[in-house]
Amino acid sequence: MARLIKTEAVVEGRTEVRWTLVEEDSTPEWPADQPPGVVGEPTTRLTAGARLSGSARYTSDMQLPRQLEATVLRSPHANARLTSISLDAARAVPGVRAVIGPGDCPPFDGETVLHSEPPYGGAAVAAIAAETREAADEAMAALDPQWEPLGFVVDLDQSLENQTFQDDPVEYERGDAEAALAAAELTVTSDYLAPAQLHNSMEPHCAVADWRPDGLTLWSSTQGIYQARSQLCGSFGLDQEHVRVICHFMGGGFGSKFGCGPEGVIAAELSRRASRPVRLVLSRRDENLSTGYRTPARFSFTIGAGRDGRLRAVEASAVMGLGTGGWAYPVLEPVKSLYACEHQHLMTLPMRLNLGPAAAFRAPGVMEGTWAFEQALDELAEAAGLDPLELRRRNHTDVDPSTGRPYTSKRLLESYDLAAELAGWDTRDELRSDGRVRRGMGCASQYWWGGGGPPAYADVRIGSDAKPVLTVGMQDLGTGVTTACAVVLAERLGIPPDQVKVRTGDTDLAGHGPFSGGSMTLASVAPAVRSAGHHVRTQLLELAADMFEIAASDLELTEGEVRSTDGTLRRPIHDVTEKLGNAWVTGSGSRAPNPDGMAVNTFGCQIAQVAVDTLTGLITVERVVAVHDIGRVINPMGARSQVLGGILQGIGFALSEERVVDPTTGTVVNAGLEDYKIPTLADLPEVECRFVGEPDPELALGIKGLGEPPIIPTPGAIGNAVAHALGLRLREAPYTPRRVLEALQ
Amino acid sequence: MQVELEVNGNRYRVDAPAAEPLSAVLRDRLQLTGTKVACGEGTCGSCTVLVDDRPVLSCLTLAAACDGAAVRTIEAEGDLLDRLRRAFTEEDGFQCGFCTPGQLMSALALLERTPHPSADEIVTAMSGNLCRCGAYEGIALAVARAAEDVRA
Amino acid sequence: MRTFAYARPAAVEEAAAALSQPAARAMGGGTDLLTQQDRGILPAESVVDLRGLGLDAIAPEREGIRIGATVRLADLGRNQAVRERFAVLHQAASAAASPQLREMGTVGGNLCQQVRCWYFRHPDLTCWLRGGDTCYAQVGDHRKHGLEPGDCISVAPSDLAAALLALDATVETSSRPQGIPLADLYRKASDENRSTLALAPGEFVTAVVVPRVPDASAYERAGERHAWSFALAGVAAARFGDQLRLAAIGVSNLPRLLDPADPLAGLPGLEQTAWKRRLLSGLAGQALSRVSG
Repeated sequence: MARLIKTEAVVEGRTEVRWTLVEEDSTPEWPADQPPGVVGEPTTRLTAGARLSGSARYTSDMQLPRQLEATVLRSPHANARLTSISLDAARAVPGVRAVIGPGDCPPFDGETVLHSEPPYGGAAVAAIAAETREAADEAMAALDPQWEPLGFVVDLDQSLENQTFQDDPVEYERGDAEAALAAAELTVTSDYLAPAQLHNSMEPHCAVADWRPDGLTLWSSTQGIYQARSQLCGSFGLDQEHVRVICHFMGGGFGSKFGCGPEGVIAAELSRRASRPVRLVLSRRDENLSTGYRTPARFSFTIGAGRDGRLRAVEASAVMGLGTGGWAYPVLEPVKSLYACEHQHLMTLPMRLNLGPAAAFRAPGVMEGTWAFEQALDELAEAAGLDPLELRRRNHTDVDPSTGRPYTSKRLLESYDLAAELAGWDTRDELRSDGRVRRGMGCASQYWWGGGGPPAYADVRIGSDAKPVLTVGMQDLGTGVTTACAVVLAERLGIPPDQVKVRTGDTDLAGHGPFSGGSMTLASVAPAVRSAGHHVRTQLLELAADMFEIAASDLELTEGEVRSTDGTLRRPIHDVTEKLGNAWVTGSGSRAPNPDGMAVNTFGCQIAQVAVDTLTGLITVERVVAVHDIGRVINPMGARSQVLGGILQGIGFALSEERVVDPTTGTVVNAGLEDYKIPTLADLPEVECRFVGEPDPELALGIKGLGEPPIIPTPGAIGNAVAHALGLRLREAPYTPRRVLEALQ
Repeated sequence: MQVELEVNGNRYRVDAPAAEPLSAVLRDRLQLTGTKVACGEGTCGSCTVLVDDRPVLSCLTLAAACDGAAVRTIEAEGDLLDRLRRAFTEEDGFQCGFCTPGQLMSALALLERTPHPSADEIVTAMSGNLCRCGAYEGIALAVARAAEDVRA
Repeated sequence: MRTFAYARPAAVEEAAAALSQPAARAMGGGTDLLTQQDRGILPAESVVDLRGLGLDAIAPEREGIRIGATVRLADLGRNQAVRERFAVLHQAASAAASPQLREMGTVGGNLCQQVRCWYFRHPDLTCWLRGGDTCYAQVGDHRKHGLEPGDCISVAPSDLAAALLALDATVETSSRPQGIPLADLYRKASDENRSTLALAPGEFVTAVVVPRVPDASAYERAGERHAWSFALAGVAAARFGDQLRLAAIGVSNLPRLLDPADPLAGLPGLEQTAWKRRLLSGLAGQALSRVSG
């Protein structure tokens, strides 16, 4: 029976209370002592065939009949007023079917989409839909925009001086930090500066809109099809039933693609006006100017501790450059939640700058906060004369230090031990030398949420061919969640995962589901999938019981067969399903809430070994040991790939990725992939990856999420390793050859 | 202007502006959307195709300059390409898959020229294909594995 | 926005005539030319593809080697004779850009490419080198720029130019088939003429000749990651008997011959580029030690 319940969810550090529809669930938990079939076995991706043959249809590949191409005029100034624009001249260009300017486009999520006073370089001002790209380009030239440049601020200090905030400052206090600092035996003060990291998903933001009298269909490269639908309903005043959002294959998002984006609203408005389908694909440059980034932040810490290294108090501030959008990402969360520390006073200042809006980027706030705080802790370890890992062990906490709640599970101490053993931590000083190449090793802890939760729903049907179809309300960015869902269903139905057809990424297919973010997707949907699968399993066994005249309780589904527990009956499942003819057996499942009053978190530790070439300044990450506690692992193959991906993006942040803004014009000078350098294959380290968590006893299926955790400790571990190698600390990331050589001067 | 191309063994005559890149001809005129354009300025390798057996960036290649050339894309058939597809599957050499067509074409060009590449040769040949998901380990292992299969 | 005519002449004279037209641009691999067009840099009305001229051979010449202007960097890097006898050239050709860009890019195009300065390449700015009034780098962010003050502080990007300068190579052009020293291919841009190439209208590079085989040669470069990075600095060294030739890119406007005894001479460094002096000094020392007898 369905019921509505009120439940608490933590999404990337923000707690939301919401009403959720859940079904009663009688699916038995997996027994603790017995490995559940294919769950936990390495499974190759279900999407391999499509993605490796070129047949996977991404949003930017859509080609509908009579589809138009759209282009967007963007401001070349850091801040400006549009004084004139020739929309009619653009409309007169042959092949042009729609032209819109400021005031012609509905807002996106309440924000202006086409600006008459574009507040940053790259802000959209007008848009054109035309038969061909050439016609659109010609119309673009005909717009002849005139600008009145305005004053701008792209510097954190200046915005702080002006007190221009993009979001409300966040103050957090517990205990009496000032008094505790004054009384502390050891005090360490340090500053760190984190860069703006650009997402650079390989597939740019894009949308194809098909506006028809009976409704709007939007193909979108999105991490949230339902969110996109709500936004489009809001922008255009449409009912849910008249908006369909589709995202079958997606080329990465990493936090920059929640909802339909302004590009979805622009494409829809152009399609509405032209009565034709419209495709809008952002250029790499526009992508890097307007679709978000990890916020640059300046951290200041004053840490007070006992001579034994136990934390007494932390005063910290973080000044974040949010640009013209985004929110106060939890940059000081690691300070607040990672260790036992009674007295804290934390201040986060989210500043407004004349730059594009910030966006969540894989572990937003927490990754850069961990990078800074974990290095400050190493400085404390040095002051206390302690091994850095020992310092972390001494400050371990068994309850969430900000709420006092117990954790559903926490295996951080085990992570330290295993990582230290695998990395050869105890002999790390032997790596050091005075030669041209200097080696060092450093560690960092990982803290994140990722317990998942409702709402999430799944439907399963199986027909005469015995090949189940699983429908889930979600989208797959490329993480492998589709395959993991197939594994979970395959276990219930006793068939190989590759026999499952998974249908996702279409709001018309399934009722609702989570957006892909916060490391929540799998932990949210997998229990719903299993529950739906269990209903189908129960019905199939009852059918088999009737056919073979054996009690359903004496039958099981395994290895594609119906078997009796006494071993006398072994028949292909197909023998049962073929009796269905054209009928289906169906089952539905939903996600139940997590336990109240407990903290749900993932933990881990990474240790990095680096080699610094003091001649070229180039740093090599030679080896990373990654140990994470994520509860039950559904597909170790996909899980390892997630870890590798996180580590590589962490390496990019630490060593080479940095948006550069020209101070005199306020324009971004490296909005392309030539000067904005993400790691290549040649930057790949050797990675040792382990999962210490047993299934979380308090969570459905024992699962916690893995999307964010692996990126979190990588840059901090690298920073500490570089300091270990050089005997000096670089306070600004990324550690480019220039910064290394400047530090060595 | 008129250009004659052989793409994956099929001959085409297309009429495209002189400045149109090969990637646009493949994707928009021939509907071969497997080739992906991720940067459009020659920096990422996603649009890599083989032109007369060379791995080139189709976004920076004028279709007009390919008159009479033989082009191969991810939609091509062939034993070696199939081996690579299997190896990329088994080594999990992709996640979102958007850079993957370019990765496969660079790998194909490498193995056609150097059937038994060293680890360094694999790294060098594949270093022009960016993967933001960070599937590099699987990519390197997959290329090595496909080469092993050739040996076997 | 790319709108231009395309021609692929079959004879040098025909190509020279086509290139004498206003706003005609020569194309080798096209990798630099097309990205320039997309950003509005030196807009072309016509593009003249030089790859139909038969300039794609690598052949021994007297004591040295002749390399056609449309030889691809990848083919140069793979050439056995080059690898064995002109190590510096092999190393420079193999280190440039990315594998695909090396398959596309030509020797002539590499030598004649424009600077990689992020202001010069910016679609919304017209810097001094592009014909504007301001060198944005000098007042803005020039962390990766040169060590030499001037009207423009961007740096020569061609790895091949450093190698060929160290090898004392000669460049042959369509109108100067007898050849000129490589250094004479380049000029300082001036207020009147913002080009860094000393080529007349219609003139283009047809071949590079390395006159003799060095006793030893080596290329040292530093990039921003382990592959696919334009050089922060690159130093080429060649030893002919007891004569040492040392050349660098990435440190000044033009490929630069360095004094082996004092590689930093004349390169004081700018406000944000002092670190490059340390880099250049290190690379020069390393390159010299690799060629010392």
